[in-house]
Amino acid sequence: MGARPSAASAWISGEMVCLFAVMATLPLWIEAAGLYQYLGIEIAIWMIYGLGFNLLLGYSGLPSFGHGAFFGIGAYVFGLFQAWAFESLLLGIALATVAAFAAGAVVACFLSHRRGIYFALMTIAFGQVFWFIAIKWHTVTGGEDGLLNIPRPALELGVASLPLGSNVALFYFVLLVFAVVVVALWRLVHSPFGKVLQAVRQNEERARFVGYNVWRFKWAVFSLSAAVAGLAGSLFSMAQQSAYPDVMSLHASGVIVMMTLIGGGFVSFWGPVVGVAVYFLARDVLGAVTETWLLWFGLVFVVSVLFKPEGIAGVWQERVSGVLRLRFADAPLRSGRTGDVSIVGPEHGETKDAIGQSPSGR
Amino acid sequence: MALFEARGIHKRFGHQVVLENIDLSFEAGRLSGIMGPNGAGKTTCFNVLTGAFKPDRGRVIFDGEDITGRSPDAIARKGISRSFQTMSLFDEYTALENVLIALPEVRGRGFNMIEPLAMDGEAADRAAAVLSRVGLSGREHRRAGDLAYGERRALEIAVALAAGPRLLFLDEPTSGLGAEATARLADLVLDLKRDYSIVVIEHDMRFLFGLADTISVIHWGQVIAGGTPDELRGNKWVQRSMLADLGGSP
Amino acid sequence: MPNLVPHLLNGLSLGLLFALIALGFMLIVGVMELINLAHGSLFALGAYFAMVIIAPELSWLGSVGEGYQALPLAMRYGLAILLAPVLVAVVGMGLELCMRRTYGKKAEYGLLLTFGAALVIEEIIRLVWGPSEQYLQVPQAVSGAFLFAGLIYSKYKLFAALFAVFAILLVWLFLERTPYGAIIKAGAHDSEMVRALGINLTRLRLLVFGLGAGLAGLAGIVLTPIWGLRPHVGIDAVIPAFLIIVLGGIGSFWGAVLGGILVGLAVGITGAYASEWSLLSMYLLLIAVVTVRARGLLGRKSVLEA
Repeated sequence: MGARPSAASAWISGEMVCLFAVMATLPLWIEAAGLYQYLGIEIAIWMIYGLGFNLLLGYSGLPSFGHGAFFGIGAYVFGLFQAWAFESLLLGIALATVAAFAAGAVVACFLSHRRGIYFALMTIAFGQVFWFIAIKWHTVTGGEDGLLNIPRPALELGVASLPLGSNVALFYFVLLVFAVVVVALWRLVHSPFGKVLQAVRQNEERARFVGYNVWRFKWAVFSLSAAVAGLAGSLFSMAQQSAYPDVMSLHASGVIVMMTLIGGGFVSFWGPVVGVAVYFLARDVLGAVTETWLLWFGLVFVVSVLFKPEGIAGVWQERVSGVLRLRFADAPLRSGRTGDVSIVGPEHGETKDAIGQSPSGR
Repeated sequence: MALFEARGIHKRFGHQVVLENIDLSFEAGRLSGIMGPNGAGKTTCFNVLTGAFKPDRGRVIFDGEDITGRSPDAIARKGISRSFQTMSLFDEYTALENVLIALPEVRGRGFNMIEPLAMDGEAADRAAAVLSRVGLSGREHRRAGDLAYGERRALEIAVALAAGPRLLFLDEPTSGLGAEATARLADLVLDLKRDYSIVVIEHDMRFLFGLADTISVIHWGQVIAGGTPDELRGNKWVQRSMLADLGGSP
Repeated sequence: MPNLVPHLLNGLSLGLLFALIALGFMLIVGVMELINLAHGSLFALGAYFAMVIIAPELSWLGSVGEGYQALPLAMRYGLAILLAPVLVAVVGMGLELCMRRTYGKKAEYGLLLTFGAALVIEEIIRLVWGPSEQYLQVPQAVSGAFLFAGLIYSKYKLFAALFAVFAILLVWLFLERTPYGAIIKAGAHDSEMVRALGINLTRLRLLVFGLGAGLAGLAGIVLTPIWGLRPHVGIDAVIPAFLIIVLGGIGSFWGAVLGGILVGLAVGITGAYASEWSLLSMYLLLIAVVTVRARGLLGRKSVLEA
């Protein structure tokens, strides 16, 4: 998970530039590749969602199976704001993000003291509560049908107003948001905060004993991750021009977990990005060939969990680092001034039997 | 007044009484030892003193302040650091990162979400200095999980040291080490003794007798004796309880 | 105020059925320290297997097939309720064989594997039996309704509730009165102890997974005549199972039964006042209980928390 310090020190990494460049050219060739413009929007939105989710799953080791709730809250809040107040793009998005953050913050109060299985089950319970409310509260959410006719407000830039009605225009807007999210999260995971999260995942007890209030970190990361999901949800409601309860279902929440893992969220920042792309391409490419694409995708998923649980990014890293290892095998790890009092000895794993003959007993 | 005091600590798990009326006091600038056979309650005692468990009765006082029942992180922030017998490290992090994360200045900006930690050269230097003190120079960029056993023991101490503690608790630091490594560890602890107030739990009595200024002996959940190593050497109780456990000559 | 008695009775019978669903889940979670997300799919699979056994496509067998189909429905139903869970148990054991690769790795991988398995089983069901709603026949004797104290009750619901009680007792007897049960109970509390007793852990896991899957299938057969049979019916089963286990306390048999009944009563009583929202009550019940009692009502400290 830890990137090289040189990469971390910059605002932008090589991978980022490549990714943005490829995605920026997407509208030019996606139709030639037999796909359609809308797919690009969908992929970019779910990549935002996945990156935010991986903050929780991959970096903090907190498996949430109810994250769809916050995605849905973002979508509904954006739609409701446009319907009840006035049409405003940025205000709507900001409000959706804040609402998801607030909902996440409340839920996190209940979750932060729970661990392992209890954490996972509580996220399911909360996810179901929100999903249920979305279905049953007809007067506000529109029930099973959801909110319809959500507009795509224009991007007001003071002097100019850019309409986002076309899928290409919306794609570029979503891509812009995606870029901002990527840079922000990249900074975050390398910041002290991000490092503490990873420390908590590796060893919660020790993190506590070096003085971190683990509860507050879990609370903060859960709320943040919910906020990112809400942001993605608001974009999704614009893309779909509707908001509906399906995205909040347990199934949808499970799919984001699956995407994140299949890409390799446990071992790489880019895991969810890869996973989302693979999932949507599989859906559209396999889906065009066979109606049971989900069966094949599920089988691939099962096989990958069995044989390569680190996901696609894990396979990639292994190949790359394999090459690196060959090249730098003999390079010394920084010249070592050896401390005068080293307890580093050759006798690894010797048992306590030897202790009786300790020469220090004077 | 003592830097750290425990008064009348009781702790039970279910029906089993693990600690009974424990009184301990550790002076600043000293190396204090807690000794006792396996299962005597040493580690539970440590856990109560450092906040992992709440005592059922009794008070824990650090520097005149009552810290009984505080959370481990709050106690750590007061300046009490500990190592673990069962090594408890951040295995996926490098040795340097393990120490970095434990530095108080990094802890102070734990909620900084923007500036990359790796860009902080000063903190990295300080962490490297801590590693060098425990003899881990040259191992900075090795993953903790990949280090050899003895190196992990050293890192365990380094992480505890990183906080610049006012009181350092070491939980069975010789556990699993061979004779030679134990000797080197003794040198390290002697070196640390110049700068830190230290409490060491050990059941290796030779190790402790050579280092400690004062020793408290725990058996059956009670403090059965206390004093300087010389005073204890003559104590029949101590000899009997330690010999029974080690099953050999001292 | 509405008359609460029918709602309470309804809730109680629903609770017993929920407990039945949760039993297999409880066994697996207790012994294997694994959340079996495929529980719901195995539940659905049991019902589909039963459907095939009750009304198979046997024209290719000629007169033998005709003869089988001429057997009374009750007999074929009885055969299904015995045989289908066994078939599901075999599927479950196959899943356990795959699971073995994940032992000793992060707990999440086991979770993910069962999630993937759930997806695959559900898709296979869709592929084989189609996506539309099917109907699981039940014998004449237990269909229809009867009158009691001036109210109409469904005969089948009564039968299902009694069957649930019967199954719960059977599992309890198995746990209490057989050496396997003793081992499972030991495992449910402490898998190190199981190892210390020199028990073959590999075989125990296989057995427990098979048993858990079989119970899921059995619950599916009993419940789908009430809920209807769709490929994704499993989700309706797996969620209450989760909730009940956490509510009752992981690894506790009576916790699961108590949790099931409580959830059923909560749903039944809210049904009396706000039927639209009745299912929400079980989530709120769980959140309330777990907030106050981290390990559920009868739970002990579990390795799963670490």
